Amino acid sequence: MSTPFGSLSRRSLLAMMGAAPASAAISQLLPANAFAAGALNIYSWPDYFSNDDLAAYAKKSGVTPNIATYNDNGALFSKLNSPAGAGFDIVIPSSGWIRQLADKNLLLELDHSKIDFSALDQSLLNRDYDPGNKYSIPKDWGLLGVVYDPGAVGGEIKTWQDFFDAGARPSVSGKVRLTKDAGETVGPALWIQGKDWNTATADEIRGTKDFLKGFAKHVKTFSGFDPAAMANGSIVLAQANQAAARGAIQQNPKLKWVVPGPHSEIWVDSYSIAAQAENVDQAYDFLNFFLSPDIQVKETEYLGYPAAIAGLQGKLSADTKNADLIFGGPGVDFSTLTSFIVNPDTIDVYQEVQNEVQAAAGA
Amino acid sequence: MSASAGAMRRSSLLLGLWYGLVVLFLFAPIVTSIVYSFNVGSLGKQTSTFTGWTLNWFVDAWNNISLRHAVQVSLTASLWSAIIAAIIGTSLGFALVRHPNPLARRLLSGLTYILLIVPETVIGTSLLLFYSVTRFRLGMPTLVAGITPLAIAVTALIVRAGVLTLDRRLEDAAADLGAGPWQTIWHVVLPHLAPAVLAGALMSYVFSFDNLVISSFLTTPSINTLPVYLYGSLQYGPSPAVYAAATSVFVFTIVLVGLAGLLYRVVLRRDRPHKTRP
Amino acid sequence: MAETSSVATLRPAGPPRAAGRAFDHLLAALPALWLLGVFIIPLGFTVVFSFGRSSFGGIKLDFTFDNYAQALSGFYLDSFLRTIQFALSGCALCLLVAYPAALFIARQQGARRTWLLVLVLVPYFTSFLIRVMSWQILLARGGPIEWLLNITHLMPGPLDVLDTQTAVFIGLVYAYLPIAVVPLYIVLIRIPAALTEASRDLGASPWQTFWHVTLPMSRPGLATAALLTGVPMLGELVIPALLGGDKGVLMGMAISQQYLATQKYALGSAMAVLVLIAVAVMVLVLVRLTRGFEEVSA
Repeated sequence: MSTPFGSLSRRSLLAMMGAAPASAAISQLLPANAFAAGALNIYSWPDYFSNDDLAAYAKKSGVTPNIATYNDNGALFSKLNSPAGAGFDIVIPSSGWIRQLADKNLLLELDHSKIDFSALDQSLLNRDYDPGNKYSIPKDWGLLGVVYDPGAVGGEIKTWQDFFDAGARPSVSGKVRLTKDAGETVGPALWIQGKDWNTATADEIRGTKDFLKGFAKHVKTFSGFDPAAMANGSIVLAQANQAAARGAIQQNPKLKWVVPGPHSEIWVDSYSIAAQAENVDQAYDFLNFFLSPDIQVKETEYLGYPAAIAGLQGKLSADTKNADLIFGGPGVDFSTLTSFIVNPDTIDVYQEVQNEVQAAAGA
Repeated sequence: MSASAGAMRRSSLLLGLWYGLVVLFLFAPIVTSIVYSFNVGSLGKQTSTFTGWTLNWFVDAWNNISLRHAVQVSLTASLWSAIIAAIIGTSLGFALVRHPNPLARRLLSGLTYILLIVPETVIGTSLLLFYSVTRFRLGMPTLVAGITPLAIAVTALIVRAGVLTLDRRLEDAAADLGAGPWQTIWHVVLPHLAPAVLAGALMSYVFSFDNLVISSFLTTPSINTLPVYLYGSLQYGPSPAVYAAATSVFVFTIVLVGLAGLLYRVVLRRDRPHKTRP
Repeated sequence: MAETSSVATLRPAGPPRAAGRAFDHLLAALPALWLLGVFIIPLGFTVVFSFGRSSFGGIKLDFTFDNYAQALSGFYLDSFLRTIQFALSGCALCLLVAYPAALFIARQQGARRTWLLVLVLVPYFTSFLIRVMSWQILLARGGPIEWLLNITHLMPGPLDVLDTQTAVFIGLVYAYLPIAVVPLYIVLIRIPAALTEASRDLGASPWQTFWHVTLPMSRPGLATAALLTGVPMLGELVIPALLGGDKGVLMGMAISQQYLATQKYALGSAMAVLVLIAVAVMVLVLVRLTRGFEEVSA
């Protein structure tokens, strides 16, 4: 008749039940009580600011920013677009999405008197994705290029046509990486036909489908770029940005990097302030701190992506490995580089092609 | 007889071997993640070949404010989810067995299973849409609310199994002795169900901590969870710091569970001063 | 005493029957109300919006089947069918691996049994994502498993299993294995030892006993395990992305994309509803096949 687990007294049961809220309370007491109001809320890619610089800012201003992370520009758009997603101060959109965010009145028009633009690289300002920099300040930038093993590929790659041809070779097929980004997959297919990815029509975009689906069978992965995979030879040909390529070349110096012609992409991750931001002054304070030349140099060294100040290359410390790769390497013709701008009329067509290419690769 | 006993032993051995392989399979990545949180890596990123030992990543993880913050949020949210699931899940588990109306029981049963099997993507997108339309601001409450359905279902099923083993005669005896329904619950039923409720709360905590898909739709600048942070770091390559953070959380959880188990044992011994014959 | 010995009814002996009734309703109402607010109503919104129209990042109430037409067309239909196939294979594999383990645990005695089960559940105390990322390390070229296979000469040469379907299924079985073991275990321990002993006394081999006695009696457990693993696999998007090179587009990813990449919420809602319908169908089929989830009663 006795119950299998003894007779627990009410008191001891309560004691055990109390443990849970107690530890909840304890975890709230852990340092950096960052739920305080009057703070600064940033929505960004993970690991996009160096710990040291954030700590330095916290020390100087007394405010420790809350940083939440997203892994997709679309997630940023969805959250900002939703009335439920309030509470963002600074967001870090990619150049492609700035116009859409601005059109939906989700970004604050920047007060240029509050920010010092003079130290920034002028060629990064006033670009087509945000004329006059009404909504964004460049944070760092990257190029779409190709990193490859010349031995396995059997030659040099100079154009996107070379890239597609190389992918089909037996020694390379099955060891290719394409990006997951619809623009970056379809873009090269449009460029080899001499078209522009921002002005292409839906039919022209769909027209690349068969070609890309044919190429898909050579592709091993669309996942985030893994330098280790290139180092150990399971991938020999990959679309990548220059910082990722630098990581791979660091592990395997035989690899080569190139920005193929006739066109390629430059993307600029930018600082913006959300239209509903509650801590606008704090946001400007943060931006001015992070835009100062010393911090920009340190951020570049931490991230591997070039920040936006002028003359950055000369300011990096002398022992930075492969420093020129941070800027895309020698011989890049910046006049051939364009930024993708998300267009509501065509973005779903781009995604459609991307989906079918990914599906064809898995078949 | 000995031939069949031999066959029985052989089959037990084979099964035991299989179980051993399964445990090895289950623990291999855990051991790997712990070992690789000490890996030096390359240029600040994790590598698949082990390049050297260092303790730096643990320090680095601690200094990374947003990573630490994400761990805090995950801990808090999953603790609250466990508490809510313990209460609501127990209620549901009890009702699944004891509700007088068979139709009600069938409906509740259906509801419980639906909670378990609706894909998380569907739940996450529905919640985002729901809060957008109702203009309800996202925050810790909405995050916790979003991850409770699974926790409630798991707790309910475990508690249900416990309720099925309840000896109804005990409750009847208590009623015979004049106890009202609440007293019966408090003194007879709950103590018996305590292990099931605790097991349910534990599993709820665990599943809630780990939730990725639903959480990613419900995060805000001040509310970010560890899995969402981890998933984002995969885009550009994770650093061993996130492995260090995960190892720390694992150790913390094991210690917590161990302490709870110890507390339970101690308390049990204290309440039974007269040891009855087994 | 005479009263109470009469039976398995729910009537507690003694007066407060009205209070007892109210109590039962409270117990049922509490979870029902909570889940109504945080689960059922949001899903309802999705169903309503699936008939609406999407604009980029917006949604207008309407009544149209366009979204369903698109969701069932060419590519998305393919993706839907492929996802179902994927989930069925993953589920079958998972059950195959889980069953013998569950059987072993169920055969042990007393506290040992609980500890063996707990051991299988301990992995859940670590982050799922980290474990999948660790599989990336384990399965990579130059990683630990390749090293092991080369040293033991089991499979010399570079290991090229990462970013393939094989790796995805390894990951899938890995992730859902403990969830499959638990319901199987719960049902297996209730199969009376007397039955298996009788079977062997009558001369059956262990395999025959298993096939004719154990397996049929564990059907409810198999059904529950199948549901708990196979159905969530329909929405799986993390494992194919991390271990499969993100090749192939499964429903989980397709739905999520409509909300994130292309901002067409109505289409995403329609896809979600279709997945829900598929789930409901699978549940009904399984319930039919095993006639309910009630445990085997002694």
